[in-house]
Amino acid sequence: MKISVNVNGRNVDADVEPRKLLVDFIRDDLHLTGTHVGCDTSSCGACTVLLDGVAVKSCTMFAVQANNRNITTIEGLSKGDELHRLQSAFIEEGGLQCGYCTPGMIMTSAWLLSNNAAPTEEEIRNGISGNLCRCTGYDSIIRSIQKASSDRRGGRK
Amino acid sequence: MEATERFVRGKGRYVGDIELPGTLHLAIIRSKYARARLLRVEGGISGRDLSAVIPDVGEGARGESWKIKQPVFATGQVNYLGQPVAAVYADNKYLAEDLMDSVDVSYEPMQPVLDEQEAMTAEPIHPGLNSNVATDQFIGKDFEEKDAEVVLDDAFKIGRIATDPIETRGILVNYDGSRLNVWVSTQAMFSIRNGLCATLGLPITSVRVMQADTGGAFGSKSAMYPEYAIAAFVSMKTRRPVKWLESRKEHLTASRPGRGVSGSMKLFAKRDGTVIGLKGEIIVNGGAYLDGLARFSPMFIGMQLTGPYAIRNGYIRAISVVTNTPPLGPYRGAGRPEAAFFRERMMDLLADELKLDPAEIRIKNATDQVFTNPFGMRIIGSRQFMTEAFDSLEYYKLAREPNGRRGVGISCFVLVPALMEGESCKLKVDNGRIKAWLGGNSHGQAHEVFVRKLIGSTLDVSTGVVDVQPGDTDMITSGVGVWGSRSAIVAGYATVLASQTLKEKVVKTKGLYTPEYLLAGNYEAEVLNEKFDDPSLNSFGANLVTVDVDELGEVTVEECRSYYDVGNALNREMVKGQIAGGMAQGISSVLYEGLIFSKDGTLLTDSIASAGVPPARELPHFVTGITEHPSSLPHGAKGVGEAPTIGVPPALVRAIEKATGVRIRNIPIHPEVLIGPKK
Ligand code: FES
Ligand code: FES
Repeated sequence: MKISVNVNGRNVDADVEPRKLLVDFIRDDLHLTGTHVGCDTSSCGACTVLLDGVAVKSCTMFAVQANNRNITTIEGLSKGDELHRLQSAFIEEGGLQCGYCTPGMIMTSAWLLSNNAAPTEEEIRNGISGNLCRCTGYDSIIRSIQKASSDRRGGRK
Repeated sequence: MEATERFVRGKGRYVGDIELPGTLHLAIIRSKYARARLLRVEGGISGRDLSAVIPDVGEGARGESWKIKQPVFATGQVNYLGQPVAAVYADNKYLAEDLMDSVDVSYEPMQPVLDEQEAMTAEPIHPGLNSNVATDQFIGKDFEEKDAEVVLDDAFKIGRIATDPIETRGILVNYDGSRLNVWVSTQAMFSIRNGLCATLGLPITSVRVMQADTGGAFGSKSAMYPEYAIAAFVSMKTRRPVKWLESRKEHLTASRPGRGVSGSMKLFAKRDGTVIGLKGEIIVNGGAYLDGLARFSPMFIGMQLTGPYAIRNGYIRAISVVTNTPPLGPYRGAGRPEAAFFRERMMDLLADELKLDPAEIRIKNATDQVFTNPFGMRIIGSRQFMTEAFDSLEYYKLAREPNGRRGVGISCFVLVPALMEGESCKLKVDNGRIKAWLGGNSHGQAHEVFVRKLIGSTLDVSTGVVDVQPGDTDMITSGVGVWGSRSAIVAGYATVLASQTLKEKVVKTKGLYTPEYLLAGNYEAEVLNEKFDDPSLNSFGANLVTVDVDELGEVTVEECRSYYDVGNALNREMVKGQIAGGMAQGISSVLYEGLIFSKDGTLLTDSIASAGVPPARELPHFVTGITEHPSSLPHGAKGVGEAPTIGVPPALVRAIEKATGVRIRNIPIHPEVLIGPKK
């Protein structure tokens, strides 16, 4: 099936099998391998992207369902060399170890902060509970999100 | 670009991200039964095409595998759910999955033996064996019991747990006509190289293993596995690159899980609380095929049973058995958490029996000098550490607070790091920069940070001139791997020694050492350190946990604190990050995780969620306290990675016991046992 999607600001026309998952389209066809796969039951959130600005697990939908929509992946979050404030905050606060959950975690966090500029710790815990991290115990991820949130309110990009 | 920056940008290069043109995707047909006769396998590639066995490499390897060896493909009989039976391959993974239906397998199911205690008396699961007992040894020395004024006994059980890194296992193999080029998610690239060579009968020089970015491991990524041999075999057969990526469902049976141990303990003490001896029996569930780690595990658990206490008498029967479950592997701690759980449960029982405070009884049994336990494990003085720990953890304050349905628990332990065989480091100075390779590389522990720091301080150069290279068996002669809380100690030490060798080489050519001479020249050094015999490397730790348990049995962890002696912390932030992540695993190993099989051997926990990997809302904020008493090595390092999975479970279990009045003997805890009013 022919689809047309906007990915990270770029229009893409593609011919995909109806059964192809969005995550496989992103990884295998578009070669955007920052979007990861960690499970087969939509539990881990490693595959999270923004679809028209809303965080979705890209393993839970078919590529054809993204027809005529806007997708942002982790690769589209930074502006060239300049990191998004969430990316900087994850580095500064040690919000990652192996890094495998990180892209999904950051995309979910971006969606969280776009809805709630100053979430409490509890709101962050609930907000990222669709994303699993096996390395950090989450504390440093929560600090990273808090830091990005206060950086934004402090005017940092 | 720094690894962390690559990762936040989505520029990691995990094995699934590496693309080679013309790659075939492999799918594995696995046993549907825990035990069955394999009547027919038609289609795909199977044991008829590749008849080989998996050697004993990786963490805890003893060289020789046991008399029943794990085949790459099962033939004749399948012995665990998920065991590889056949494989298919195609141009993409969708087509490979379609092809799986073309393989026809018929089974005649048999009654499986799943539990280690059941295995002791059940009919042998493997044809040709007299019993399911693989190893059965006594350690320590039998002793007179007549001096004991108090004798307590109890029995415990720790269930199996999947390691569940968020990146599952994966491998990409490209046979170029003369060599196998391998990219793999691993903790031990040399184990994979040696494993492939042994399985396929290839010379060492014909395999090159490159470690891809590795998305966590926690023990399961150091062994050789059947899928790696199959991928290599298909690549050699087809002359095309072959990729295999494990699904999560596969991970839960095809990757080696940890734990799965029963222990019965008998403690002998005086009325004043002095423990005079310990007897017991440990039975380890080794799974369907036992490697060196599984066979050694009951002895390793046994030998640590005295922990930080000066218990002079010990006599333990250490048994490993085969069962129809996936082969046992290491999971963060690998024997250490089991020993701590059995021992700390007995210390709490003794405190209750004598109506003494659990902290007091622990300090009473501590030692002021170097102490060698009845099994040969050596520790340095532990009393001062414990005294500091209970203060720092605010135990006395928290224990005094009115509790109701709240409870406080503490634990103390020794972390015995896995130092055997040491580690290697190679340094090469060229063009004003220093390249560094390690024999065992990071999968989330940021080795590059301590490597740069140690090279910088030993050679008096800026850390900015050091480039830490990815793991590659072609670039360094030998190496071991990353597990057992070892890297800061062994890889750190190798880095210091290699740096010192460079220094000596500069002195030799220039008459004296200056960083300028070094960076202006071409120098190379490679070191493999092997011998470590120093009780100060066995480090102490303590934990405190407080909980609130409601009448429905719901446990809320309120406080989870550590006080660990990490030696000279080479990178405080990373150390604290390791502790927080480990404490999360410590909590979930008690409350949420577990691989649960039904009686007929079906896996009931077949997703990452049902296997219990917890999300943020189920975990507390962690207080990561450390103290730094340097070891006797030049860089002063001690281990840390496994400390939290050792120390948290016994403290948490005690806290729950105090909150509910229910004595806890088994983990993971089934919440039903906690329901109802306080006992
Ligand atoms: S891969 Fe999509 S939720 Fe796990
Ligand atoms: S950093 Fe490893 S899974 Fe989150």
